[in-house]
Amino acid sequence: MACPITATANSNSKSKQTLISPSEIQSEFSHHDPTVARVNNGSFGCCPASIIAAQHRHQLLFLRQPDHFYYNTLKPSILQTRLLIQNLINADHVDEVSIVDNATTAAAIVLQHAARAFTSSAFQPGDAVILLHYAYGAVKKSVHAYISRTGGHVIEVHLPFPVKSSSEIVSEFEKALRLGKANGRKIRLAIIDHITSMPCVIIPIIELVKMCRDEGVDRIFVDGAHAIGNVEIDVKSIGADFYTSNMHKWLFCPPSAAFLYCKMSDELSDLHHPVVSHEYGNGLAMESSWTGTRDNSAQLVLPEVMEFLNRFEGGLQGIMTRNHENVVEMAQMLVEAWGTELGAPPELCSSMAMVGMPACLGIKSGSDGLRLRKHLRECFKVEVPIYYREPLEGEVDPITGYARISHQVYNVAGDYCRLRDAVNTLVKEGLTCALLLK
Amino acid sequence: MAALEDPRPAVNGAAPHVSKKPKLSFITESELRDEFAHHQPGIARLNNGSFGSCPASIIAAQRRWQFRFLRQPDDFFFNQLQPQIIQSRAVIKDLINADHVDEVAIVDNATTAAAIVLQHVGWAFAEGRFQKGDAVVMLHCAFQAVKKSIEAYVTRAGGSVIVVNLPFPVNSNEEIIAEFRKGLARGKANGKKVRLAIIDHITSMPCVVIPARELVRICREEGVERVFVDAAHAIGNIHVDVKDIGADFYVSNLHKWFFCPPSVAFLYCRKSPVSPDLHHPVVSHEYGNGLAIESAWIGTRDYSSQLVIPEVLEFTRRFEGGLEGIRNRNHDKAVEMAQMLAKAWGTNLGSPPEMCPSMAMIGLPSKLGVLTDDDALKLRSHLRDHFLVEVPIHCEVPRDGETRAMDADGCITGYVRISHQVYNTLDEYIRLRDAIIQLAQNGVTWKTIQS
Repeated sequence: MACPITATANSNSKSKQTLISPSEIQSEFSHHDPTVARVNNGSFGCCPASIIAAQHRHQLLFLRQPDHFYYNTLKPSILQTRLLIQNLINADHVDEVSIVDNATTAAAIVLQHAARAFTSSAFQPGDAVILLHYAYGAVKKSVHAYISRTGGHVIEVHLPFPVKSSSEIVSEFEKALRLGKANGRKIRLAIIDHITSMPCVIIPIIELVKMCRDEGVDRIFVDGAHAIGNVEIDVKSIGADFYTSNMHKWLFCPPSAAFLYCKMSDELSDLHHPVVSHEYGNGLAMESSWTGTRDNSAQLVLPEVMEFLNRFEGGLQGIMTRNHENVVEMAQMLVEAWGTELGAPPELCSSMAMVGMPACLGIKSGSDGLRLRKHLRECFKVEVPIYYREPLEGEVDPITGYARISHQVYNVAGDYCRLRDAVNTLVKEGLTCALLLK
Repeated sequence: MAALEDPRPAVNGAAPHVSKKPKLSFITESELRDEFAHHQPGIARLNNGSFGSCPASIIAAQRRWQFRFLRQPDDFFFNQLQPQIIQSRAVIKDLINADHVDEVAIVDNATTAAAIVLQHVGWAFAEGRFQKGDAVVMLHCAFQAVKKSIEAYVTRAGGSVIVVNLPFPVNSNEEIIAEFRKGLARGKANGKKVRLAIIDHITSMPCVVIPARELVRICREEGVERVFVDAAHAIGNIHVDVKDIGADFYVSNLHKWFFCPPSVAFLYCRKSPVSPDLHHPVVSHEYGNGLAIESAWIGTRDYSSQLVIPEVLEFTRRFEGGLEGIRNRNHDKAVEMAQMLAKAWGTNLGSPPEMCPSMAMIGLPSKLGVLTDDDALKLRSHLRDHFLVEVPIHCEVPRDGETRAMDADGCITGYVRISHQVYNTLDEYIRLRDAIIQLAQNGVTWKTIQS
């Protein structure tokens, strides 16, 4: 198998000497369990050793003299992070950028705001929130906790999977939106993933946001949990009201740090962090920068991350391009070896791809998928999440299981070969998920 | 003055419960210094109360947990995290004398716990279980973040707030109890229903140990529906027995006085047939499975500070008398230093020794002219920048008709809050003493010096 680190077409002007070498990369990730084929960057991300060291320095700064840190250092450091994010995502004002723990927290902020609108009767019972059926489980629970509870109606949009093109997604969404608006129902909030988690597909977000605007949806929240460091983000051209992404997934920050972008509007002043502290009423960004004594260090290392990115050819753009190309290459290698197919075409894959698993494995439920994942972890030391797809009526020998493989800079071809071989071994042994239950 | 020079117990020191360990295994003076060698040298660090402290061996333990996650996060998430959090919760349950581990949730800090309890109140208003005008009681000196949380979740939802003023300086528990009774009765006039009382166990500024048990009883007698004790400072500082205190909710930070890294706290929720349905505001996969389980997963986070609690318990056992020994010695030293300062400055203690935890309030010379909150903050910065002394300062302007604390030059309105933790040494308090004496010689001149 060829080395997966291929040269990018857009070579940057740095001389090759300052670029990070493959062995330096391995060294940066030497704290990863070397025995594990780690093809699941998507779930929990990764953090290079030099960034961990930077985080420890920030932690120690606080521990050394916490009062001085609180009064003099913390706020300017968070502002630095916000400015870097503003730049990365093309936001107009740094006031639009708040740093929070993770996308889950961002969702709670946006949904609590909507809940207040329901309880204050700004929204009426039966007004709707629309989200994808493939929305992240935690977000669905948050919708239940804040919207269903206050009388909002929840519309889930079913998207096809496997999917052949983004136009399939656009037309399904359009249908659901029209249906949702039937009988004059008002849609107050649309929650749209930029990249769905499971199954993992890039959503044509610009078209969907525009469609929502055209159809009179009040507000749009894009859940880009996976997006930053994975795909390009331009919040202005996306045009949503709220946009969140985790920095610890694909942007090399330690757990955990995320941003929530909120487009300037009159309502911005009424968004609040649910953990209320001294800064209450001073704007979401200020409120989020102090939620009681915490370890903020993961939020403070973005300057060091920028330096880390610049050690790669093409910087962040180069990393994203190569990750995508490599994951597609590995995905195609796997479907060929297994005789299956991809869940989505390459242009809808980010640095992740959904790879059909042999039907003979008999993945018949989400629990089967979890069990198989556990088996792969424990018996083959391969870490990969598995998605269960319910087959359609009349499908013959359907592919019901998909492995979501990720490619990040630390991955090597051997990781995917081990996945390939592990699954081939299971097939050869006649293993099924039903047998795993025994 | 030999006793003042060594803040740790003398060989024949009288700790109430002498540990069964042989003396050889107790932490030595130089080991103790090493444990806190990361503190900035040259600073008189007299403010353990604000942000706490964490020994080097616990930081190291925390890093080990961090690396376990980073090494193989999926395995950590599926197999290690939940059992480890349960272990931490079990240690806390024993420490605080709770009945069931289900009653113990681990959250980031007391501020988060307040948001959890108050969001629940907000829901009750929104869903009609509470009526507009129903009241929440708080102390006038409640922590500012808690006050803001009340504004956000109670006032905004139509609730009213009864503020009970506590006297300061204060001379006895009886003064506090009397004021609380009066304040509660006044607030309940007009037949207001009191849905929740928020009572500090140790107020932050000014810092006083509140007779929480008695106040909880008064609340019950007066028909207050639920009581939430904000004991942010309590664990590792004073004795905590949640059953004895009898509140419905009780929170304390573990990173202040219990040597945990930032940040971690527990929220105790007493089990009862009518246990209210509390939720963590950051909703994730575990929504509906009980607060403790919800709080154990609020999205990808660094949970490592929550996992070192067993190691911290071990750390406290390296001291004679364990945690209780540490508390008692801290208290004794804080009081001793406070009396030394009051004598040197010709001022007073804000409360009698029995109402001081491991912290004490000492009046500042009136000549310094600390007359506003702004003055207090400025003086604190001045001490930090020009004297390398870190100590928070409180301004208490007496209300009309109240007796004033006086020194030879006038009315005492400024107070320092000193802390004593195991790493503190006598010279730090001497530096504070001398800095204030020096400043007082020049009256209010310090106000015009640029920080």
